[in-house]
Amino acid sequence: MTTSPTLVEVEEAVPSGPLAPPTSGKRVVTTITRDKGALACLVFLAIVVLMAVAAPLITKLSGWGPYQFDSAAINSDLGGVPHGSLGGISGSHWFGVEPQNGRDLFARIVYGARVSITISLSATLLTGILGVVLGMLAGFYRGWVDQVISRLMDFLMAFPALIFMIAILSSLPSGNRPVLLVVVISVFGWPYLARVIRGQTMTLANREFVEAARASGAKDTQVVFREILPNLRGSIVVMTTLAIPGFIGTEAGLSFLGVGVSPPTASWGQMIASSVSWYSVDPMFFAIPGAFLFLTVLSLTVLGDKIRTLIDQGEAA
Amino acid sequence: MLVGLVATAALTLSACGGGTSGTSGQTAAGPGAKAEQGGTLQVLANAAFSHLDPARGFDGGVNNFYRLIYRTLTTQGAAPGAEGTKIVPDLATDTGKPSDGGKTWTFTLKDGVFFETGAPITSADVKWGVERAWDPELGIGSPYAKQLIEAPASYQGPYKSGDLATISTPDAKTIVFHLKKPFADFGSVVAQNTFTPVPKGQGAGNQLDSKPISSGPYELADYKPGASLKLVRNDKWDKKTDNVRTANPDVFQWTFGLDPATIDERMLAGQGTDADAIAGTVQAATVARMQTPQLKQRTMTGINGCTTYMGLNTTKKPLDNVKVRQAINLAINKQTVRDADGGSALAEIGNTIQPPTITGRVDYDPYPSQDNKGDIDGARKLLTEAGLANGFTMTLDTRAQPKMQAMAVAIQQALEPLKVTVKINTIDTATYYEVIGTTSQQHDAAITGWCPDWPSGATFLPPLFDGRNITPKGNTNLSQLNDPGVNAKIDEISKLTDVNAANAAYGELDKQIMALAPVVPLLYEKVLMLVGSNIGGAYLHDGFSGGIDLVSVGLKDAGK
Repeated sequence: MTTSPTLVEVEEAVPSGPLAPPTSGKRVVTTITRDKGALACLVFLAIVVLMAVAAPLITKLSGWGPYQFDSAAINSDLGGVPHGSLGGISGSHWFGVEPQNGRDLFARIVYGARVSITISLSATLLTGILGVVLGMLAGFYRGWVDQVISRLMDFLMAFPALIFMIAILSSLPSGNRPVLLVVVISVFGWPYLARVIRGQTMTLANREFVEAARASGAKDTQVVFREILPNLRGSIVVMTTLAIPGFIGTEAGLSFLGVGVSPPTASWGQMIASSVSWYSVDPMFFAIPGAFLFLTVLSLTVLGDKIRTLIDQGEAA
Repeated sequence: MLVGLVATAALTLSACGGGTSGTSGQTAAGPGAKAEQGGTLQVLANAAFSHLDPARGFDGGVNNFYRLIYRTLTTQGAAPGAEGTKIVPDLATDTGKPSDGGKTWTFTLKDGVFFETGAPITSADVKWGVERAWDPELGIGSPYAKQLIEAPASYQGPYKSGDLATISTPDAKTIVFHLKKPFADFGSVVAQNTFTPVPKGQGAGNQLDSKPISSGPYELADYKPGASLKLVRNDKWDKKTDNVRTANPDVFQWTFGLDPATIDERMLAGQGTDADAIAGTVQAATVARMQTPQLKQRTMTGINGCTTYMGLNTTKKPLDNVKVRQAINLAINKQTVRDADGGSALAEIGNTIQPPTITGRVDYDPYPSQDNKGDIDGARKLLTEAGLANGFTMTLDTRAQPKMQAMAVAIQQALEPLKVTVKINTIDTATYYEVIGTTSQQHDAAITGWCPDWPSGATFLPPLFDGRNITPKGNTNLSQLNDPGVNAKIDEISKLTDVNAANAAYGELDKQIMALAPVVPLLYEKVLMLVGSNIGGAYLHDGFSGGIDLVSVGLKDAGK
């Protein structure tokens, strides 16, 4: 390839260009670990991810599986309310039990983390790919490609997404629920990322270094992957980090409304939904999954916000 | 009675009519105390009535309600326990005179009975009302008139086909029914909703669903479908002609569409007009809050007279093997199923097909296990004999409703040690019974329930297990059992002219069917309700899915 030397030159030129050095991963990490709030969020998220990854091992340790019934832990004569105070918290059931069947709440929280994390990460990955590819296509080629993609984005964004998700998910056969959830969430989620990417691509495509690359004979693919994509890194990181808590919330919301993962799969949203009628006799049944959902979403939001600030600072510097 | 049922249970006026139920805690000071005449009685409900047209509506909830506005030739008694399911004359002077070996039945109407319009009720009006059952659009309720009374195959009700010759009215007071074959218990059949008089020539289309023509003690004053319904006294109804209805309150006021949790909170608080209110069965989460002496005094409970069961589709592999079905019967942990339904306060464990309220029912346990927790070892042995020691996969249909889903999960969990993988197939609430009643769409198993139309095995076992009743749509024989022995026994019993002998024979047939294990009887659900502190005259009526008998309930202090 005759153009490679030129490209090397151009790449070398980028750091000294007007865009300034992109924030390095190292700087983000050091700054965050110095911030107590952000560090706490990071630690909590690490715990949740660890729970999700090592769920079977953890439940082996705690002694109760997520689907295992424990009739002895509930009072059948009182409608199935857990024995003992605080929703049946005890040495054998660390977070208490679910009313009416005695399933271990700790095990269900751990397995619920699995569902939340898997679905939100998969949805983020899928929206990320869709958003970046389509956004760059629209921003780079403009013309009719942009017209088609932009109208599609307008259409999807103007759609009452939640209502439509509920409608789709309740009419589809139960099949593989998690996959359906990921697909449905992603279909409505990608335009938000794609719109930002499109705008940024348009700006970048007019920059001198891109023109220089073109002048040196770089092909479209080379320009896109070597010149534009690396400069979108910051935006992609910020947008996706902030999207994950949104997806976790959406998954929990859909499960709450009864169109998410199907029982007996543990899901935080579903646990919150079934805790509603028990709020006065067993408030812990609501408090525990509620706290996990709240803290996870909060941590991700705080962290995402922090990263955005850092990247903005880096870009401004 | 027809499907419709159990899941929503008494709360939403589940389904099915008959049945008898057990006890209810009534004390002189509680809801059983004497009620006064007058006042407004409030009813808080989640679901509205299915239909106001007596030819259409057919579940425990509307059957109870219909007695306020409609009268039938005979009706069930108005008392707790077995007295309540005894058939007594209503519009007719007696419970019918059979002739021709039970193939022809003659009823005579009382004097002084009128519609709300002031027009006298004649035998022609009764005949018109019964003929409506053949109308394809209207006749979706009680099927018994159509099943028993002789009629040309092409007959489509009085609006389309005109007069039905097999019901004759020699004079304005006499009505004669000619049946297809002798039926000993026809006096119970004419208590069904379809035997309500409708003024001759009226009631076409949706007319009665929006404005019923009353023959009972109340008439419709105001009706907002899905929101509210108000009944006021019908001054043309004469107490002297009616030995059943006490008709205490001046006004009945229904409020529909309330959230079940809201209803429970309001009944627990019992403030304002809620002191004059009654409601359906409470949610499981409310049970623990009803344990104070004050609330216990306002609590009423009893069996709703239905059986909740899991049908096993005997046409699917490996459920076609009786050993596999028996193994499932042995393995199910009914304790966890009951807890899923709301615990011992809301259900009793069921081991026989017929619920305890059925006359002639025999109590036995064909697949015993300690504390009904399931006998896994015994089940494993049977599965090994069937060559399925490594388990199999089956699909369980369940209704998209928390209670039923919870029961499905309990069953899934109970079969797990046998390496039987149960896939739960959740079906939308509205279409559930339609889907599982369509043989081509039915899976391996389904959770459902059945309530008798009157407390006799005749309304329980033949509809569920007669192999000749399997239809591609609207099938009630969910297990699709077509066993020559069972079919022959059903025929044999239907020929018995002695009702008591027939009921006893059904008790034995129950055992014969359970030996084949086409279903897993799970629970006999209970009603557990809170009533307002000013409610009196209340008892649970065994004939109406254990609901409070509306024709007797009233207010202790009507002026309050």
